[in-house]
Amino acid sequence: MSSASNASPTPHETSTVAAILSYLIPGLGQIYQGRFGKGFLFMISLLGMFTLGQAMGNWQNVYLPPPDVRGGLGQARDLPSSLMTRWQFIGQFWIGVSAWPAVYQYFKPDPVEPDPSIWATFQRTPNEAKVNEFLVNSDKTPDLGWVYTVVAGMLNILVIYDAYAGPMFLPTPRPTKPSTAPQSELRKEGIA
Amino acid sequence: MLFAVSIYWHLPLMLLIISLVYSATRHEDWDEILGEAFRWGIRMFGFMLIVAVVLFIVSFWLRNPGS
Repeated sequence: MSSASNASPTPHETSTVAAILSYLIPGLGQIYQGRFGKGFLFMISLLGMFTLGQAMGNWQNVYLPPPDVRGGLGQARDLPSSLMTRWQFIGQFWIGVSAWPAVYQYFKPDPVEPDPSIWATFQRTPNEAKVNEFLVNSDKTPDLGWVYTVVAGMLNILVIYDAYAGPMFLPTPRPTKPSTAPQSELRKEGIA
Repeated sequence: MLFAVSIYWHLPLMLLIISLVYSATRHEDWDEILGEAFRWGIRMFGFMLIVAVVLFIVSFWLRNPGS
């Protein structure tokens, strides 16, 4: 048996930078490591799933309820209760940058005058009456929508770990074909 | 009747993405990734099918308690 078939696959080196990149944008850490196929698979499938989930929920299912107290430490103190109210965000947060607008909206004070621009409304806590009206007039699609966003976020935790420490199982070494060269030639080359 | 409800068309996509991404985090080789994804896809589809059949039987029984 040649030495190549005995060699075990090299263990994946841990990479904190790749893990952080994969948190920010799913698959970016794998692309940084040169694992392009897996990187693009994660990026397209998870970002696609997260975006589709938001669309199925009429872009009203990724948000953090506003704090009772605006500004200062009170706002940060209200974060656990906001997460208790909207527990789905604990899963959605792990998709990375795509869920950051909700955090931005959480800390952004209410506008003095109604602002319909996307910067003021995207991932901001929706009007309860409008959400209720939308849900009453829909089938189960909005419910599946938030499930999509949470599943995408939770799957990205596995992707982050894959970027940090590599896959759970390393590739199985494939046995090399036995050499067909005559033994005399191998002895000459010092292999046999 | 079942297929007229659009929510069921979204489930295969979720099944495909979950099985592919989960398998890709466990393996590095594409043959192993696709094989594992296929096996997980079959398992999840089977589980969902069993749940669907049980729910269908329960709803049928609730609508027709005498039968």
